[in-house]
Amino acid sequence: MQKTLIIGHDRKVSKVTIGGQNQLVFLGGPCAIESREHARTMADQIGQICDKLEIPWIFKACYDKDCRSSPDSFHGIGIEEGLTILSDIRSEFGVPVVSDFSDAAWATATGEVIDLIQVPAYLCRQTTILRAAGETGRPVHLKKGQFMSPWNMKNSARKIEATGNSNILLTDRGTFFGYNMLVNDFRNFPIMAEAGYPVCFDATHSIQMPTSMGDISGGQREFIPYLVRAAAACGINALFMEVHDDPPNALSDANTVLDLKYLERILAQAKLAHEMRLDILKQWGEDRVHLDD
Amino acid sequence: MSISTTDLKVKDVLLPPDQVPVMGPTTILKQALEKMNKFHLGVVCVVDEEEKLIGIFTDGDVRRLLLKSQKPFAALFVDDISVHATACFTSISASSSLSEAVAVMEEKEIWDLPVVDQDSKKFIGLLHLHPAIKAVMGL
Repeated sequence: MQKTLIIGHDRKVSKVTIGGQNQLVFLGGPCAIESREHARTMADQIGQICDKLEIPWIFKACYDKDCRSSPDSFHGIGIEEGLTILSDIRSEFGVPVVSDFSDAAWATATGEVIDLIQVPAYLCRQTTILRAAGETGRPVHLKKGQFMSPWNMKNSARKIEATGNSNILLTDRGTFFGYNMLVNDFRNFPIMAEAGYPVCFDATHSIQMPTSMGDISGGQREFIPYLVRAAAACGINALFMEVHDDPPNALSDANTVLDLKYLERILAQAKLAHEMRLDILKQWGEDRVHLDD
Repeated sequence: MSISTTDLKVKDVLLPPDQVPVMGPTTILKQALEKMNKFHLGVVCVVDEEEKLIGIFTDGDVRRLLLKSQKPFAALFVDDISVHATACFTSISASSSLSEAVAVMEEKEIWDLPVVDQDSKKFIGLLHLHPAIKAVMGL
């Protein structure tokens, strides 16, 4: 039985349900909070697209980017200003927000503002971080490390469960295939779902080529539409994409963020593929193609 | 006062829960196997929150699983024990006679027989063949 998550911790935002037979949920926004005005613009424009498509969504942006390829890379706007901006965005647009933290000391403050607390993929085994995330009491967005097998994500989930928090969203963001390259194994979704939690596909990080360009990461964003359709058909409860209105000048993940101009088309396809899958399962059920018992 | 071997009951010979690998349903397979080794027994007993016996997993189940499953070991090891435990098992009450219990073990060709309260289904212990035979033979 898959857990259903309710995202949204007060009446300022429209609550979003993730899991089960519910609608596909979109988690999206710029990788980093670049400025108050830019974050507001992105929230407004993404919100308009999601409203038009009737897709429930959660705004994503981070105040600290600790996993950069270079000391010269943009490190983020900082926790104090970042959380103030996120708090204002959720009030102004009525949308729940998701953001990550990379220092356990930031968890409590982050959890007081945001609706869905994110554990970065690189930190998905770190007990202190997982415990801190669980102890916020907020639902936890737990991304599978690129080095992790899907079945071992249950170990990470158990660390969060140990805090009494069993509201977890498990996300695949690609798996290392040698050096500087990620691939997607779509078996990861049913395998991770065996842990009993809803699953999510991070399309824009999946096409990342980690640190492939010396001091920054590259990416093949031309594959985003293919991977989104495949993941939605395979079976996901949420779709995660970082979106920017000017990718070449994005301060973080410029080579992987999706150009805002494509968002509506891709979300429409994802929604359709998700609904078709639900219809197929309604008619046929899921075949448990196991060896004979 | 000595007890005649013919009067022996299961409760006189059973291994109490603290001498048996007992675990909850979300214990992973790897930990279950380690517990089997620790207790030198070829069975684990899976109990729910009310200590009701809900499944058993034996050495034979391990052999069958290894031949059937195509999962990598790393994936099998993190499966919940409840996924692979047998929910359909034979049990006996503590007040049953030992000879009756041994007859059941012989008929079923099993080494271990869980002992449960027949009303509450709570796990009481495990009848292991070796101490049972010793008792029956008066050794």
